[in-house]
Amino acid sequence: MVTAINDDLFSPEVVNNPYPYFSHLREEDPVHWNKLYELWVVSTYEDLVWVTRRPEFFSSEVWKRDPRSPYPAIDESDMGLYQEIRDFFSDWFIQHDRPEHLEMRKVVHGYFTPKAMELWRPMVLAAVKELMDEAQESGRMDVMNDFAVPLPLLVIARMMDMPNQDRKFIRSLAEKLLFLGRGETDRMQPLSDGIKGLQEYLSPIVAERIKNPGNDLLSVLANGEKTGIYSRDEVIANAILLLLAGHETTINLICNGTFAFMRHPAQWQSFTEDPAGRVVRATEECLRYDAPVRSIQRIASEDIELKGKAIHKDDRMRWFISSANRDSNMFPEPNKFDIARYPNPHVAFGSGIHHCLGSALARLEGQEALKALAERFAGLYLEIREDDGEFQPSITFRSIKSLPVSWR
Amino acid sequence: MARKLKITVDLNVCVGNAMCETFATNTFALNDDRQSSVANPDGDTEDVVLEAAENCPVSAITVLDAETGEQLFP
Repeated sequence: MVTAINDDLFSPEVVNNPYPYFSHLREEDPVHWNKLYELWVVSTYEDLVWVTRRPEFFSSEVWKRDPRSPYPAIDESDMGLYQEIRDFFSDWFIQHDRPEHLEMRKVVHGYFTPKAMELWRPMVLAAVKELMDEAQESGRMDVMNDFAVPLPLLVIARMMDMPNQDRKFIRSLAEKLLFLGRGETDRMQPLSDGIKGLQEYLSPIVAERIKNPGNDLLSVLANGEKTGIYSRDEVIANAILLLLAGHETTINLICNGTFAFMRHPAQWQSFTEDPAGRVVRATEECLRYDAPVRSIQRIASEDIELKGKAIHKDDRMRWFISSANRDSNMFPEPNKFDIARYPNPHVAFGSGIHHCLGSALARLEGQEALKALAERFAGLYLEIREDDGEFQPSITFRSIKSLPVSWR
Repeated sequence: MARKLKITVDLNVCVGNAMCETFATNTFALNDDRQSSVANPDGDTEDVVLEAAENCPVSAITVLDAETGEQLFP
């Protein structure tokens, strides 16, 4: 007999501290039919890897194929908006299966290799230093607004060769797109506003890059139109994807990592003793312990059995990174934050053919940000009680609302 | 005569992104766990193998000169 499982994944209990909830789920019902939202919740490490590495059974065309109505429900009057939004997200390359996915990914894949990203380290270092100097001057900061947001936004804007002064505007629109993982019944309007705003902003820039290409990321993407792989709409949609994914996730890595350190003073102490030597493994542990992305979805493309459960064609499959990364069958003492943990095969970036395109960039930025914090502010402490860390009610992003800190 | 390569994939790191197989079709193949394995170290030219190694998103691939042991990637 399965004990009662709270199916409301947006409840404060699951949003603010998902880990006990998923630990219970892994034990009781690892492949769980969530009746409330009509989707399968995949929670173990083993199953997550199995599902993500079998794209032939689990389609990424989620927005296009999902036969059910949106979950949680949306206002009836917003169904028209929902259809438009659906068409937009269906153009993202990550919302495709092979062979289209491979062709679309290859256009930008070479830009993001670990070797290519390494060339950006000096630029990232300089940006980190500038932000740290500003923080030092004011004597305190909100890690979210004063550090974690501006850093990756600056980097992705530079990569795309966008004017510096546009960053605030870009962020204000990108924030509306974050409603894609939220539960509010009226979330379609901000999503639609964000999409339209970014489309309008990017259209003339993309047109210009097609005419006069540079070696920036936007020109690389736009070249996909010339080679016949992307339509103009798809270039713009995927520019929005790269812009959003290129900063939101890294914001969460920096904030969640800092938050984890602040709740584990002994680990912070150990890190500050040798930031440069310990930063690589520490960053991986931050990615595992409180992953920037909570969960991702697929749609079953045929009937298939998983852990004795009969999955039907077109069923929603949602796999939870935040659960798999705490699976005791993979990680000894999974709830312990241990910055020396090795090996650490976490799935913060997913797995399989859709493994995060920007993982090398995220690692680079996360490493430089955390290292700089430890080097500059060894006496860092939270200005809030650790239980007061409040997270956005999203099942996609693990985003803290603010992270005020000071130092001794 | 092209030199022989010793190609290894670190299975603790490989995430089955399959880019190696995409770039060097005759060298790499995914195994039953959907991780990369070297099906034929002589399957493609050295340039192609190095390009595949460079395009691995998690740097799981090491390429050596089989005879001298010289590291060619990373």
